[in-house]
Amino acid sequence: MNPVAHKEAGSRAEIAREALRECRLCPRHCGVDRTAGDTGYCRLDAGLRVYREVLYWGEEKELNPSHQVYFAGCNLRCEFCAVGEWNEEPQEEPKSDIEEIINAIERRKKEGARYLNLLGGEPAVNVCGIIELLGRLDVTTKVVWNSNMYYNTIVDELMAGLMDVCLADFKCGNNVCASRLLDSADYVEVVKENILRATRHSDVIVRCLVLPGHIDCCAVPILEWLAEEAGGAKVSLRGNYVPPAESKEAPLGYLSPSEFEKTQNLAKKLGLNLIQ
Amino acid sequence: MRKKRYKRKCGDFEVRVLADGRVVMLAPDEELLQVAGTLDPDNELLPPVKEKKKNAGK
Repeated sequence: MNPVAHKEAGSRAEIAREALRECRLCPRHCGVDRTAGDTGYCRLDAGLRVYREVLYWGEEKELNPSHQVYFAGCNLRCEFCAVGEWNEEPQEEPKSDIEEIINAIERRKKEGARYLNLLGGEPAVNVCGIIELLGRLDVTTKVVWNSNMYYNTIVDELMAGLMDVCLADFKCGNNVCASRLLDSADYVEVVKENILRATRHSDVIVRCLVLPGHIDCCAVPILEWLAEEAGGAKVSLRGNYVPPAESKEAPLGYLSPSEFEKTQNLAKKLGLNLIQ
Repeated sequence: MRKKRYKRKCGDFEVRVLADGRVVMLAPDEELLQVAGTLDPDNELLPPVKEKKKNAGK
């Protein structure tokens, strides 16, 4: 973390808490008072709920092992979400004790964690509690912001300097697919803007989960945009899509080797900075 | 009537065995990752197998 940003964590958390009084952290613009217990699209009040923490070797190589801290609640509704249970009904999880989270982070550091990896759900909708948490940690803690990137500018402003690596998901390359698969009709513009903002203060890894049957409509435009606009970002192609047990919109099969190869070849042809 | 989807809890294991022999573990928690690491000890994306403590007793 940047020492100046770390020193500001207390004041930034206050700003974040104030923002929760009429929450417009993300483009859903719910405007509810989460500090009063009201909930909007993400179904979260102001409480912080960690539903899992684990030392993990399955991230991009340069991040392993990472200490994954999963926050309940999300502002997208991905049809293929593998942890939808905790995101659709986040308040079924008990509120977390910040001291317990800090103890877990210290324990995982001793076990070899190179990064504290904040994910969910979506960390952006938990940004207030996350900043309070980061302010209590040693400034040398390396932080990964593992996000769907679907949030308003205020989140980027609050988190600038508090993350070392922005691990940015980019799933759909057009808003028709995003509307069907993620329940977001303005997804592409918002994500692009936030990726570009993140490159101004952090190392950025754009993680593209290649969706079966969505190569030409999603993977191709994403990769072409990255080549044209976000040349400094590293790109991680993921071929490990897992279909949901049931869905009206999401692909119900696994990615074929030829689809993944086609995507990889395009990324190489475009000169993207591919990492594994 | 549609049944409500089962909500996984930490400690639950959800595993799919695909027709081509691949084993897919969904949203693995620490215990499931340890199982995966034991099944595939050379996979660097999985946690190293924890060595069992030797019995110090006689």
